[in-house]
Amino acid sequence: MAKSFDIAVLGGGPGGYVAAIRAAQLGYKTAVIDKDNLGGICLNWGCIPTKSLLKNAELYDSIKNHGEEFGIKVEGLSYDFSKIIQRSRDVSDKVTKGVEFLMKKNKIERFRGYGKLKSKNEIQILDENDNEIELVKADKIIIATGARPKQVPAIPVDYKNIITSKEAMSLDKMPDELIVIGAGAIGVEFAYFYSVLGAKVTIIEMLDRVVPVEDKEVSDTLARSFKKRGIKIYTNTKVEKAVVKGKSVLVTIEKNGKKEELKAGKVLNAIGVTGNVEGFGLEELRVELFKNHIKVDKATYRTNIENIYAIGDVIGPPWLAHVASAEGVQCIEKIHGMHIPDIDYNSIPGCTYCQPQVASIGLSEEKAKADGYEIKIGKFPFSASGKSAAIGEREGFVKLIFNAKYGELLGAHIIGAEATELIAELGIAKSHEATYESIIQTVHAHPTLSESIMEAAANAYGEAINI
Amino acid sequence: MKVDVVMPKMGESVNEGTIIKWHKKKGDKVEKDEIIFEISTDKVDTEIPSPEDGVLIDIKAYEQETVDVGTVVAVIQTSGGTDDSQEETEEQTEEKIEEEPASTTQVGGELVDIIMPKMGESVMEGTIIKWHKKVGDKIEKDEIIFEISTDKVDTEVPSPEAGILAEINVAENETVEVDTVVARLSTSGGIVKEKKSEPKKEQLAESKTEIKKEEPKEIKQQPGKDLSVGKSDRFYSPVVVNIARSENISFDELESLDGSGADGRVTKKDVMDYLETRKGGGAAQPSQSKPKVQQTAAEKSEDAKFSAGEGIELIPMDNIRKRIMYHMVNSRDTSVHVTAVLEADVSKIHTFIQENRERFLQNTGVKLTYMPFIAYACIKALQKYPYVNASIDENNIVLKKFINLGIAVAVEPNGLIVPNIKKADEKSILGLTKAILELSNKSRGKGLTPDDIMDGTFTITNYGVFGSLFGTPIINQPEVGILGIGAVQKKPVVVEVDGTDSIAIKSMMYLSLSHDHRLVDGMLGGKFLIEIKDALENFDTNLV
Repeated sequence: MAKSFDIAVLGGGPGGYVAAIRAAQLGYKTAVIDKDNLGGICLNWGCIPTKSLLKNAELYDSIKNHGEEFGIKVEGLSYDFSKIIQRSRDVSDKVTKGVEFLMKKNKIERFRGYGKLKSKNEIQILDENDNEIELVKADKIIIATGARPKQVPAIPVDYKNIITSKEAMSLDKMPDELIVIGAGAIGVEFAYFYSVLGAKVTIIEMLDRVVPVEDKEVSDTLARSFKKRGIKIYTNTKVEKAVVKGKSVLVTIEKNGKKEELKAGKVLNAIGVTGNVEGFGLEELRVELFKNHIKVDKATYRTNIENIYAIGDVIGPPWLAHVASAEGVQCIEKIHGMHIPDIDYNSIPGCTYCQPQVASIGLSEEKAKADGYEIKIGKFPFSASGKSAAIGEREGFVKLIFNAKYGELLGAHIIGAEATELIAELGIAKSHEATYESIIQTVHAHPTLSESIMEAAANAYGEAINI
Repeated sequence: MKVDVVMPKMGESVNEGTIIKWHKKKGDKVEKDEIIFEISTDKVDTEIPSPEDGVLIDIKAYEQETVDVGTVVAVIQTSGGTDDSQEETEEQTEEKIEEEPASTTQVGGELVDIIMPKMGESVMEGTIIKWHKKVGDKIEKDEIIFEISTDKVDTEVPSPEAGILAEINVAENETVEVDTVVARLSTSGGIVKEKKSEPKKEQLAESKTEIKKEEPKEIKQQPGKDLSVGKSDRFYSPVVVNIARSENISFDELESLDGSGADGRVTKKDVMDYLETRKGGGAAQPSQSKPKVQQTAAEKSEDAKFSAGEGIELIPMDNIRKRIMYHMVNSRDTSVHVTAVLEADVSKIHTFIQENRERFLQNTGVKLTYMPFIAYACIKALQKYPYVNASIDENNIVLKKFINLGIAVAVEPNGLIVPNIKKADEKSILGLTKAILELSNKSRGKGLTPDDIMDGTFTITNYGVFGSLFGTPIINQPEVGILGIGAVQKKPVVVEVDGTDSIAIKSMMYLSLSHDHRLVDGMLGGKFLIEIKDALENFDTNLV
């Protein structure tokens, strides 16, 4: 017995559920299909639970390492690892339930089961044994199946000793030693978390620096901070193989032709993610792919098949929840015939929540130069900010990159406390095509960390006051 | 003896000061300790007293100019022989910081405003196409400072006074309204240097004087200065505004762009795309509040949709070309053009010119050509048939009691302009010869004034000089006729001498008259042409 819909969304993550709600708001009869809790990786096994863990780490870090500085004395400070994990799971449960509620509120029909494309207008809902529970018919289908940790033969994930992010946020015991392969956002966040809680952490990165998508100065500052914490960092280093031996993992690395063997109880594979494009009928419908992702027109999010659309991680980088949500809304509104500007992929903020936090938007200095811009750079260190001094967070800086010709903000890079919140202002600045004058002329509250943004803008033109 | 007055050092780290007001002017008598000027520095504002009794004989810095400490800003001629100045000035200055300013209305260091001239009745704005001088340049009176282009003419603007160019307020290619101050001239003489930094904000506020920046580049950074966004309901992002300023995109152009952003907002990308198109073709460039006709013309060329590439080069039209395009299309769409042609025997004039060229040149300094003879004949015909010397205004026929005879002048490399000889009916052959020469020289040297091209009543165009035999010229609006002159060529023609036909060799010239059939019908056109022909063939050479 088939049910018919205007729009069916396959996948209930931050791309899928947002698209479904927007579709329902615009009056479409909408279905959303997911075999797990709604909210996808983000709410269940990504953004939200990890931010919960990181808050534990920060709190512990503050009291343990900076308590004295603030005159706070704690004797016998310790933590309960399982409680930390439990809190993270509770937070996740709560927010995913919130999403289930939103489906009801918006009268979206929610199918729990494995969705498989049967034709370009039909999705089978399968149970664990691949039996069809239900058939969903829809005029338009939106694929939002997301991505999963990328795996390579050299690092055979066994989900016990060699783990992915999902296991890393639900371990039952605190590991003594952890090797993190990959120094992107996921890698450095877990490195920070486990390092603060006392594990001996080693990071291995194939490229020349940690958080390689960020501005080089930011990478350098983060690496210095991590090294100060005792985290060992190998850059320009390849993992030849990882082999589980008893209760530990032997990792063979190679740097400049020299091999070395590292050993740890746990190895976290954080080398990246790959699109979920297999096993649900894409191949049979000849939906065009590229590099393990679905190929779409990044204005309408349509695939090569007329009524099939795709959004979020499954269509490729930058693999960010907020991008998936934005694409979900765009996709639906364009289907609805609304004339809205396309997403500007140069104005997507990226945030990393280790301490010091890293946040950026737009071009890095290197990229701006490579793109041929003549640039003006404005920098303001938090060490010169009164607010930073007051809250004891003097690490990091704001770095703004302007197009020298038109004064346009090309990129913003923040490393330091609350960087991930501070970047929002620069998102507005960028999407509204602000220039350095716009930022300088905007009165910023004192004392705040955000003043540093204003000062950095002024610094680019030699007008900074407080440095 | 002469005593130099210098910019005093007003504090340890103060290396320059801005003169905010001259209390004395050149030639004024000054007493010792009398305030001669006020300055403003990073630290303080103060008044500078005269170091000596004497006469202020030179002012070397203008108001609002910032000069280094120690720079001589004025010279005083004293009668005595004391010789101190610098140190004493400093001392006295410091003592006087707290004193009230001496009240005086005399102001030295005068700045003369140079404005965008009004280039004709209906011309409300002009575009600066080139600055011949830069800030700090010494300028003689009547020396050309800049070139402008308006709807009517391109012209060079001379300096009203001698002095030093103190400020340039309008960038090249920027269009401003008539009477806008485009530059200021310091007539006080002395040194005017380019300012290194813009005046401090406090000074701006305190002196309540509009401090203009010298470099157009700097002006661009002043929000809302040359690109008033307030005129529109549309929001333009700061980047869009900056790009428009830097790339000389006018406000009208911005307004004409389709925005791809939220609510039709013009985004950076839209402007950059537009810039590309503009660079490439120029055809797509929107007009600046021009009549509809030009848009039609512009649209027509837009239809072509050429893009630069193999075998195709796209050259943006200059102002003159665009104006010619507009005028031609406008005239074609306004008048009903018909063209009548006849042939005139100009042998008599030909012979006369051949025989008198040398003498004429010696006596008058100008070369004798066919043009003044034709003009003369044409004027006679216009006097006889005033409807050809008329205009149409709605349902009225406008008869003009004067003849301002237009002469079409080709301007290299690719231009055309029609200045006219004012009151041509009062001129002799020599007067016309000189007038024609003067107008063509002025046309080619960008020396035309708006008067020269306004109020024409009839036009002569000489395409014969390029070898054409006859043509069908386009009327110069709002006139109703234009006379085309073909090349003179020797031909065998049948002549009747004493009742017998015979063949003779004659210098023949085609005359073609394009007339506006709305007012001038075939009969009048023909009569008019015959009148000219008769006048030319029976020219009374005693008139010369």
